[in-house]
Amino acid sequence: MREEVLKRILLIIGAILMAIICLFPFIWMIVVSFAEDPTFLGSPLVEYKSTLENYVRVLSDPTLHFPAYLKNSIIIASLVTLTTVSISSLAAYAVSRIEFKGRLLIPIFVLGLSMFPQISLVGYLFKFIEKLGWVNTYQALYFPYVAWTLPLSLWILLSYFSQLPKDLDEAAMIDGASRIKTLTTIILPLSAPALFSTALLVFIAAFNEFMFALLFTTDHRARTVPVGIALFQGVHGEIPWGSVMAASVISTIPLVIMALLFQKYIVSGLTAGALKGE
Amino acid sequence: MDNNLTSKLKYREAKLGYLMILPLLTVVLVFIILPVMGTFWISLHRDVTFIPEKPFVGLRNYLRVLSAREFWYSTFVTVSFSFVSVSLETILGLSFALILNERLKGRGVLRAIVLIPWAVPTIISARTWELMYNYSYGLFNWILSILGVSPVNWLGTPISAFFAIVIADVWKTTPFMTLLLLAGLQAIPQDLYEAALIDGASMFERFKSITLPLLKPVLIVALILRTIDALRVFDIIYVLTGGGPGGATTSISLLAFNYYNLGDYGIGSAISILTFVLVLSFTIVYLKVGRFRRD
Repeated sequence: MREEVLKRILLIIGAILMAIICLFPFIWMIVVSFAEDPTFLGSPLVEYKSTLENYVRVLSDPTLHFPAYLKNSIIIASLVTLTTVSISSLAAYAVSRIEFKGRLLIPIFVLGLSMFPQISLVGYLFKFIEKLGWVNTYQALYFPYVAWTLPLSLWILLSYFSQLPKDLDEAAMIDGASRIKTLTTIILPLSAPALFSTALLVFIAAFNEFMFALLFTTDHRARTVPVGIALFQGVHGEIPWGSVMAASVISTIPLVIMALLFQKYIVSGLTAGALKGE
Repeated sequence: MDNNLTSKLKYREAKLGYLMILPLLTVVLVFIILPVMGTFWISLHRDVTFIPEKPFVGLRNYLRVLSAREFWYSTFVTVSFSFVSVSLETILGLSFALILNERLKGRGVLRAIVLIPWAVPTIISARTWELMYNYSYGLFNWILSILGVSPVNWLGTPISAFFAIVIADVWKTTPFMTLLLLAGLQAIPQDLYEAALIDGASMFERFKSITLPLLKPVLIVALILRTIDALRVFDIIYVLTGGGPGGATTSISLLAFNYYNLGDYGIGSAISILTFVLVLSFTIVYLKVGRFRRD
């Protein structure tokens, strides 16, 4: 029994440590975002006073363009999510249900693609996008993001569709439904949880992307939140930490709330996407 | 007649199948396959923005890159970063997964908390860490000052900057490892543990002879995925140190990026393709080692 008690104590200490490790940078972000002076820790003369000033500045200062970045990020990530989930639903349905030559190669091929480092695309992609005149447009990010998020999305949906019994399709088709109708009226509604977790993961991935956004945008017309936050700089070159942290909180809180509310979907999506290949 | 009809139907089905994967293949072809091939093609040319001719030079760019010290140094930085970061993350992720797998009050809340670092965008978490590492008003130096220790220039020396990046990366990526390993733990049948308990196996013995072997397949998949990701590290270094001090934390992706920024596409592309070769060789090694041990 002594072992049980010891284990219990270790477990509780471990759980507390784990909570602290996971939370403290996030909490720090919030603390500094409300600080009147972010240097409050450096000097004994500056004490912590809370203010909404940083939030007001980041949302209203026209030189920071933060509202534009936020709008760009939300629009691009939403369009990418919609497209990626549609394209990969079609493909996952075809691969899991329809007999055609080479269908089993598709998942392997797509999985192989996710091994390419992002940097190995940008040499050519940058020239390509420049030639099309797409720099500073939504499509400069939209198309690469769709391509980049497809493998994960296809993988999750494929693992889910393959679990659904094939009798469902056959019954629908005997009733005269076409393949497309079967997909939209039977398979997709039944796959709501998988579609939902895929959509969340794609949205978060698109919202997070940095390298393409850094290279393919040079001003606020299509620049996204990560690039905006990475390049925030004050007039004299110093970093306006209060604004940076306020912007970070504004862009992170919705994602964190989503992650907490839809925890189950995210976890099942991540594990299905990652562990299918074993 | 009947046969003819079925083959016709089959043909129509197959056609529909190809039609349904067409959008996927098109996007992937134009925005992944073509760019990778294009980058490879550029890497075979002397391609500098401000010079109009782009002569074909064969493998000369590769020879230049492979004989440059900075490339090998970046490779060393990238591989050590991946090794240290993935090891720490595996240990931490496994500990978290073991905790979450136990019956514990507040387990639901803990499971939610562990997702937070994953949900914070990489650039934003890098910025937050950058602030915490700040020399004059960062959290860490404040804690040191309370303990009466003189402040450390966390991002200012090669070694401390390296570990500063590793720690920020481990914080961000541990949740992914935790979730995969937790899924693996939950797939282990409970009666194995009960039987071991009856046999009088200690906690450590149960871990060593049941948990670890049964977790191995999941562990290998998780290690491959995380290593592939770590070898192409870019965002977090770009923000935290910009590759400094003095190039000490420049990963290969960042090195390639710097060449693109200078307008030298030939060299940048050659480094990019070599990054892919590195990722590929690590994956092959993992798969070989993984299978070898399982047999």
